[in-house]
Amino acid sequence: MWQSVVNGQTLKFHLAGINNQNFIMRDEETGSWWQQITGEAIQGKYRGQKLENVPMDEVTFAVFKRENPDGRVLRPDPKIAAENKYETADWEKEVAKMPVRIDGKLDDALEPRALVVGIIAGGKAKAYPVSALEKQNPIIDTVGGKEIVVILGADRKSVRAFEREADGRELEFFVKPDTGEITDAETASVWDFSGTAVGGPLKGKELKKIAVLKDYWFDWKTYHPDTQLYTLGSR
Amino acid sequence: MTGRFGNKTAWLILLLLTAATVAIVFVPVWLIQPFAAQSARQVEISYIFKSWSPVLTILFAIAALALAVFIAKNAKRWYRALPLVVPLLIIAVFTWFARQNHFEWMFAPLESAKFARVAETDFVKDDEMVLAVRVNGEAVAYPVLQMAYHHVVADVVGGMPITATY
Repeated sequence: MWQSVVNGQTLKFHLAGINNQNFIMRDEETGSWWQQITGEAIQGKYRGQKLENVPMDEVTFAVFKRENPDGRVLRPDPKIAAENKYETADWEKEVAKMPVRIDGKLDDALEPRALVVGIIAGGKAKAYPVSALEKQNPIIDTVGGKEIVVILGADRKSVRAFEREADGRELEFFVKPDTGEITDAETASVWDFSGTAVGGPLKGKELKKIAVLKDYWFDWKTYHPDTQLYTLGSR
Repeated sequence: MTGRFGNKTAWLILLLLTAATVAIVFVPVWLIQPFAAQSARQVEISYIFKSWSPVLTILFAIAALALAVFIAKNAKRWYRALPLVVPLLIIAVFTWFARQNHFEWMFAPLESAKFARVAETDFVKDDEMVLAVRVNGEAVAYPVLQMAYHHVVADVVGGMPITATY
């Protein structure tokens, strides 16, 4: 998710190519090429320039609805919908069959198309396999000197990450397996999935959100070559 | 005006122009195709070819047309000029293709994005994933199902022009 304005000019982007399985965007105004995942111009007038990131969440519609009752939702294009082109299930199955080819060596720490949750904290990138998060939720960690927590939502699909500090203290979180309630060990305050304390001594406090990106491991690794990879029990 | 040598030379140049037109359009299509690996150099070559092909194909097409007229005028029988159709047609097709974005044939862009209020949204299921942003108090959801097709959607959220990508 990127801000469209560069040097005071609003750019209009188009799908224009593929670079190691991540797409290239071309802006109408200067014809520069931009890498979708990094927001960096790789060719043309703006080469080297980075788009400003807009913090984004990848959550279920139920979570969005609950948190943003006054929000708006992108409608499907009726023409595309009529041609059934949005039905991606089969398309993704086909894609999964294609071998992963990238310029450089594939990292063998994880299956290339394994889904990971990528975050950047304190300038350091780290990837959390979704499979690890499904087994251990939440994951408490330290990345780039920041104390963080990665939480899988009650819907088992939505993922969020926060700096786990409130009221000047570091918190350890756990999710009650039966109710899915998020609680901190220090004050036993109850937190909701948006990172707000809704009960207990810390009620009203908010955790600072960290942007997460759900991505294939090979894609995240290609564009964040120095990334760390979380493995269960490694902390 | 000219003998056979002139005609042969004209044909040779015409075929070279045809090959050059095909190459300048086809090379970037080949290099930046999906499911292939791309080096930084290959991406750069693709960019240079893509940038120049709209102009160069027109110039090649004009030159090819001039050569074709020259060859046809010198043809002793009208049907001897017929084979000219082949290179001219190839050049015409590739000149046209240099102006197309074939990635948008596969994934049509969303020209004017339309939105619904959360309360009136009946086209997204509760367990479907959405990309959610909130800027200056305005919240917008972009369903992954649609984003996985369009890939790029321009919007203004909370007064800020943004580009949603997936």
